[in-house]
Amino acid sequence: MKASLLTTAAASLLLATAAHGADSGPILIGVPVGLSGANSVVAPSVVQEAQLAVDEINAAGGVLGRQLKLEVADDASGAAGAQKAFDALIYQKKVDALISMETSAARNAGLPAVSKGRTPFIYTSFYEGHSCNKYLYVDAWVPEQQVPPIVDHFAKEKGAKTYFLIGSDYAFGRGMLGFTRSYVEKTGGKVVGEEYLPMDGADWTPILSKLKDAKPDAIITSTAGGAPNVTLTKQMRAAGIDLPYANLAVDEGTAKSMGADATGVYLSASYVTGIDSPENKKFLEAAKKKFGDDLKTPNDLSVPEYEAVYLYKAAVEKAGSTDPAKVIAALPTVSFTGPRGTITMNKQHHAPLTMYLGQVQSNGSVKVAGTFKDVDPGDQCPNLK
Amino acid sequence: MLLLLDILTTAAILFVVAVGLLAIFGVLKIINFAHGAWLTIGAYSAVVATKLGLNPWASLPIAFIAGALLGGVAELLIIRPLYRRPLDAILATWGLGIVIGQLITLAFGRDVQLIPSLMSGTIRVLGADYSVYRLFMLLAALAIGAVFALVVEGTRLGLSARAVIMNETLARSLGIDTERVRLWTFMIGAGLAALAGVLLTPLTSVDPNMGVAWLIGAFMLVMVADASYLALAVACLVFGGAQVLVSTFISPVLGGISVAVLAALVLRISPRGFSRA
Repeated sequence: MKASLLTTAAASLLLATAAHGADSGPILIGVPVGLSGANSVVAPSVVQEAQLAVDEINAAGGVLGRQLKLEVADDASGAAGAQKAFDALIYQKKVDALISMETSAARNAGLPAVSKGRTPFIYTSFYEGHSCNKYLYVDAWVPEQQVPPIVDHFAKEKGAKTYFLIGSDYAFGRGMLGFTRSYVEKTGGKVVGEEYLPMDGADWTPILSKLKDAKPDAIITSTAGGAPNVTLTKQMRAAGIDLPYANLAVDEGTAKSMGADATGVYLSASYVTGIDSPENKKFLEAAKKKFGDDLKTPNDLSVPEYEAVYLYKAAVEKAGSTDPAKVIAALPTVSFTGPRGTITMNKQHHAPLTMYLGQVQSNGSVKVAGTFKDVDPGDQCPNLK
Repeated sequence: MLLLLDILTTAAILFVVAVGLLAIFGVLKIINFAHGAWLTIGAYSAVVATKLGLNPWASLPIAFIAGALLGGVAELLIIRPLYRRPLDAILATWGLGIVIGQLITLAFGRDVQLIPSLMSGTIRVLGADYSVYRLFMLLAALAIGAVFALVVEGTRLGLSARAVIMNETLARSLGIDTERVRLWTFMIGAGLAALAGVLLTPLTSVDPNMGVAWLIGAFMLVMVADASYLALAVACLVFGGAQVLVSTFISPVLGGISVAVLAALVLRISPRGFSRA
């Protein structure tokens, strides 16, 4: 009698745990992000935006009647940490999807686990482009969208003909500057120097000396987000360099923490807090209300995270389940209208975006110097239908 | 020539960062792997001083004192009990470094901190504009080196320290309170590290991990210099110069590893490094 009761209890427990994650219980969204390392400065705002979206969606009833739950893991902003973080999220926590911003090194290291674990992965960071995987979707910009506004502006408004390029030595730095070089040369300019430092390098002295020798008309840089930006800009200003300077990898939050050194820096982004739309106003109010003084400035690395959670929600609702094959089939067909406008990841897993050319003011805010609507990402993944 | 100034100022910065580590290595015979954390403590003392509205220059003595006091606590609680187990003491300092980094993160957050620069702008030198602050670092390194030399050669503590460096057991048997010497040396070394941290702030991003990048370089330099501060100055010039030359003429990525490669070469050829003591 007792034995069969025990067996029934055990069987129902087994059935219950098997059912978990399949049709009931919370939908788990994994967020591997650089809580330590080069990205540690921007990671907190990414986590905040994900939390904001999840809380809003849960308050409105969740997705298909199920609540969303975040699982955050530290990828240490690099390949080694990403392998651990992705493995933990995909195989141990068994997340239903990954939605996150990370360095290109981390993303590339995590993709094999994504393919093997068949987990939909929405990458919310701007990056160097051409990362193609059946399960990977990107809702942030690629060089084809970010670079032309800057180079065109420098050429037309500043009469710049020669450029000096500085970057961090990894996929993003090299990819962005590689594209910049080809665009500069295509539009009649000349690149007089292209120098890289390892991602964790902090001493730009020899590069800045070379820059002074080369006497370019303008500088374009593409370092890893966070600390490398700050060290390069500080040292550049300390060396007395005040040429027109565009930073392909800086966001409003980092620019604010650089104080006076960031004044005059140009940036090209798909999000600035000054976007004048009802969706952005509503979003900023909700963020301020939720986090108050702890709010990290929403920026081009964190707002796509917020929108990606909503895009995932739309895809799951359209697919009718969290089944990976159905979700990745639905992702390119759904849209979300958020702070950056209407986003649809329908161009070879990438999304057309409205880009804003901005200049950092002395009080840390960004003034919009030009708007470019629905810039096409170009041919990112021609082999993915 | 700009290149010469780059080499001299790079050597100066390396010296300022490494001298605290050298003092501790010479007397206590251990590498303080929490050195990077003390650089960070110094920089964050400047953050606190700024928040309290003090003059940025006041953060130099504040950082030194804060670093020295915390160094004293660390020596008494962690290093001293492990006196007979130097390898474990080294491991303990590595752990201490991690703990300090996390405590700073808990207290201040991961964000980059903003500190007003001690001085900014450029000055016309040898026909080119050069960063005033880097030139100041050159003077600071010379000043710190001079004071350090004065303490080592001209004070009782310095005399006792040199005795402990040569032979600790013999020094103790001569009546020198070696425990006190070790404590004071650790405090001074930690204070110098904190001071270096403040001096670094205009050149680097102030965040909880800022010290880690400097630790390995400082470690290599101290290994090559053994216990002699003059040898350290030579090592900083040679290695700093190599780093700048390789970065300028070959590539900055290779320049980053030049200190490590040269250190390995020098130690292979001459195991006592540059020191002749």
